[in-house]
Amino acid sequence: MNHLKTGLLMAGMVAGVATMATSAVQAKTLIVGMACDRTGPTQSVGVVLCPAYHDYVKLINSKGGVMGNKVKVIEIDTQYKVPASVEAYQRFKKEGAVVVALWGTPMTQAITPNLNADHIPGTSPGFGTAAAANGEKYPYLFPMAASYWSQAGAAVTFAKQELGGDMKGKKIAFIFYDNPAGREPLPVLDKLAKMEGFELKKFAIPPPGVEMKVQVQDIVRRYRADFVISHLFGKGPAVHIKEFKRMGFPLKKVLSFVWGAGESDINGAGGWAKAQGYNALNFAGVGSDYAILDEIKAMYKAQGKDGPKQMVNSVYYNRGILAAAVHLKAMEMAIKAKGSGDITGEDVQKGFLAIKDFRLDGILPPLDFTELDHEGGGWARVFRVEGDGFVPAGDWLRGYRDVVIEMLKAE
Amino acid sequence: MEWQFLFELSVNGLLTGMMYALIAVGFVLIYKSTDAINFAQGEFVMIAAIVVAGMATNYGFPLIAAIAVGLVFMIVFNLALERFVLRPMIGRPIVAIIMATIGLALVLQGAGPLVFGAGTKPLDIGVPDEPLIIGPLFMTPIDVVGAAISIAFLAVFGWFFMKSRKGVAMRAVADSHMTSIAMGINVERYFALAWILAGVVALLGGLVWGSAIGVDTQMAALGLKVFPVVILGGLDSIIGVVIGGLIIGLVEALAAGYVDPFVGGGTKDFTPYVLMILVLMFRPYGMFGKPIIERI
Amino acid sequence: MFHRESGYFKTSYQADMALYPLPIAKYTIWAFLAIFFVACPMLLDEYHLSIINLVAIAVVGVLGLNILVGYTGQISIGHAAFMSVGAYTAANLATKLDLPFWLTVPLGGLMAAFIGILVGIPSLRIKGLYLAIATLAAQFIIEWIINHTPSISGGVAASIEMPRPVFFGMELANQAELYYFLMFIMVIAIIGALNLVRSRIGRSFIAVRDQEIAAEIIGINVFKTKLIAFAVSSFYAGVCGVMYTYYLGIANYENFQLITSIDYLAMVIIGGLGSILGSIFGAAFITMLPIVIRLWMEAFGSIFVDDAALAQVIAQFRLIIFGGLIIVFLVVEPDGLAKLWQNIRNYFRTWPFSY
Repeated sequence: MNHLKTGLLMAGMVAGVATMATSAVQAKTLIVGMACDRTGPTQSVGVVLCPAYHDYVKLINSKGGVMGNKVKVIEIDTQYKVPASVEAYQRFKKEGAVVVALWGTPMTQAITPNLNADHIPGTSPGFGTAAAANGEKYPYLFPMAASYWSQAGAAVTFAKQELGGDMKGKKIAFIFYDNPAGREPLPVLDKLAKMEGFELKKFAIPPPGVEMKVQVQDIVRRYRADFVISHLFGKGPAVHIKEFKRMGFPLKKVLSFVWGAGESDINGAGGWAKAQGYNALNFAGVGSDYAILDEIKAMYKAQGKDGPKQMVNSVYYNRGILAAAVHLKAMEMAIKAKGSGDITGEDVQKGFLAIKDFRLDGILPPLDFTELDHEGGGWARVFRVEGDGFVPAGDWLRGYRDVVIEMLKAE
Repeated sequence: MEWQFLFELSVNGLLTGMMYALIAVGFVLIYKSTDAINFAQGEFVMIAAIVVAGMATNYGFPLIAAIAVGLVFMIVFNLALERFVLRPMIGRPIVAIIMATIGLALVLQGAGPLVFGAGTKPLDIGVPDEPLIIGPLFMTPIDVVGAAISIAFLAVFGWFFMKSRKGVAMRAVADSHMTSIAMGINVERYFALAWILAGVVALLGGLVWGSAIGVDTQMAALGLKVFPVVILGGLDSIIGVVIGGLIIGLVEALAAGYVDPFVGGGTKDFTPYVLMILVLMFRPYGMFGKPIIERI
Repeated sequence: MFHRESGYFKTSYQADMALYPLPIAKYTIWAFLAIFFVACPMLLDEYHLSIINLVAIAVVGVLGLNILVGYTGQISIGHAAFMSVGAYTAANLATKLDLPFWLTVPLGGLMAAFIGILVGIPSLRIKGLYLAIATLAAQFIIEWIINHTPSISGGVAASIEMPRPVFFGMELANQAELYYFLMFIMVIAIIGALNLVRSRIGRSFIAVRDQEIAAEIIGINVFKTKLIAFAVSSFYAGVCGVMYTYYLGIANYENFQLITSIDYLAMVIIGGLGSILGSIFGAAFITMLPIVIRLWMEAFGSIFVDDAALAQVIAQFRLIIFGGLIIVFLVVEPDGLAKLWQNIRNYFRTWPFSY
């Protein structure tokens, strides 16, 4: 028995070393590194967003790649852990990635100094430290979509609209995840509360937020809020939809930040019928009426397969498309500028800045990156649960852009 | 207004506490009869809920059939677990058994989504979502149902433990393995029975909590709520679980309602642990736990 | 480690307790140092060095936990909290007072040791599983305090950017340069632990673990011993936290949550309770296992499933294999990798004439 164990262990060690050695060989293609969370606390997002990224890259590769250069995605599941993410980043760097997709706020904070040192652009769509959108300070980090500050601005704009244009003396409740990412919008909200004259009360939910009856009860029964802005992750959103519903609070008066309204959250809350009226900010289009999604379906069909089943979760699927599309567009710009496919991270960084008004048939907001603004404008759009899906409640909007830009500069 | 809110908060806190007790009782059951510490209690609840919800949503089983599948799965799974993992480990240090159950928790975290998909699933056991209003009091129906199921189970369980022949034998096994063997009790069979019961109670917990908050792997975080409950009551006391659950439910509700606004952070998850430490300082075996007498 | 002796010829207690039982052991150690300090940095690229760095950090943390759990028998599920204490202490000292690393590393450890003593006080009355869960409480309480005290956590984001360590005017900026720094601390930690456990204190740890009451009767102050164990263990954890902070470039409490404590507990148990060598094995095994599993799956996984599904399957299977291996280990080889290593050695000791 002992001999067998010994033999197995040794065989395992040898095989491990062997695979480590073989993985060093790489083809001459454009490499993208993608950190993903498919098994950690944010897995419900990762299992949709990451496949979408792969699908878009496959589509472009099937058309010949980015200006004739194939793209290879190296995905690593980090389980939302910081050391695993740093290890993953080292792997991306070793494989020669020209752009990396980060995942998770603390991981983004840890990797950002490395990005600047190694001159590899990294993206953090919709999460990360809001102040990091300042491109002058962090030239190689691209939040690429509305940061938490911009989302706060957009949320207050929407709330104002829903409350009839005047917020004076109105009671706004902010229910948030009690971790750094959750607290990120607070400075903007505090500032806007003073500016617009509304009362802001904060309700902290300790992660992972599987149980939040008391806080919701407080909002509905004691504070009697006029409007609720929520900023929850993971399981939180589904739970708070359920709790608001059970307390008889109209979901029309609840607006979630970007990570609070995937189709699977609505499902978890009991389905569309139960979540009627619930609003959510988005930084990519929602739904499946976009040409690019049809192309992906057609690609699958040509291979004799059904369309990707993740596509029903259009909120996160389309965000994966956004990440991939902007990455590849930046590479395209870099190749155009350089005249060859032999590009580095620095070229791609300039490629990001060269992107102007990239819409991809309306699935993206009019993204426009500048030296200072690496958010691409801080666009967001509210989608509301109506009938059997999300419908847009208004057009793409940027709320209190001047306030956000001013704070960005102040950092 | 303020008093009414306090009352409402307390009632709902107590109801939630009963629902915690439902998860915690599985933990105590295992500890009491087999001396094993199950750190995967939250994962048991999770996997039971995932199987039921997965059968219902992915394969279109009617609810009753899905629950039946869940029940069979939990029983078979727990029996296998007892036979192949925990029985070989009898007599090992506590920390080894803790670690084995943690390993088990990881396996379940990976296996559940692998088989049924990672998205959050609904689990509708037919309890309405509209508030239940009794006079001035707002309550949520699932809490009432959950607390009722919890009380019913604990009552049946208490009777079983105290009065039935098998229950008495189980208590004997819990008290001393050696004496039980000497008295002709088939100890291994009662270990298996304890794990079966733990599977059943995990299924009940999974149904109630899955219906309350939706089903995905993060349900397992409920397992962390169990520790203050069981430690407060005493690891080997069924009554302790009920009282511990009620206290923790109440403390959580009051902390979130009255402490949070002053400290500006969520105190709900951490006050139970502070309370637990304080109680342990005065009563090292919880309120109703049996002190362990050490001999050389 | 690799030598074979032909029998036991020890005649004195000193000889039995010697760090190097034979001269050849000394040469093996030197050979190892040469491999890790000279050959590895020359032959491996930055990515592989960064993995060894992670192992080095883990070794320090595991040694600390093993002193508490393996040698003294006090279960702790709050080890990661002490790491965060060390991490934030060092980060605050480095950013606010501009202290160099040779002060932040020990001071981070000392602060963690102080908090460790506070957490250890209940161990006077609370025992076994109850103590384990009390340390779990410590984990949550420390986490909460750091998260909600801006003067400790450095503001709303609760993360402090750490300056790189500076060694005689040279900034250790990348993984290859950090490698020496982290390896050096690891070696010191291993030597410290080796010497501690064969000292009077170390033996009193073992006495308390094996039979608390008997230890008390033979004149060991059990409470004091337990507190020392908590302090030493937390000191190691604090140093480990500081190492993480230098490695990652930020101090962030989200890196030190319950899951990390559990990972370290797994390392101690897989490596072998009450074994220094086991601690090193355990740290290396658990740190590299997910990485190696991933590389295998990347290489061979496409045989079984198509690559669209592969990424998902890799992630899920990694979790299952990881958890499964822990269980298999505990059932099949309860004394961990250290025991397995001993079996290998015993086999080769008589090889090729084993009977």
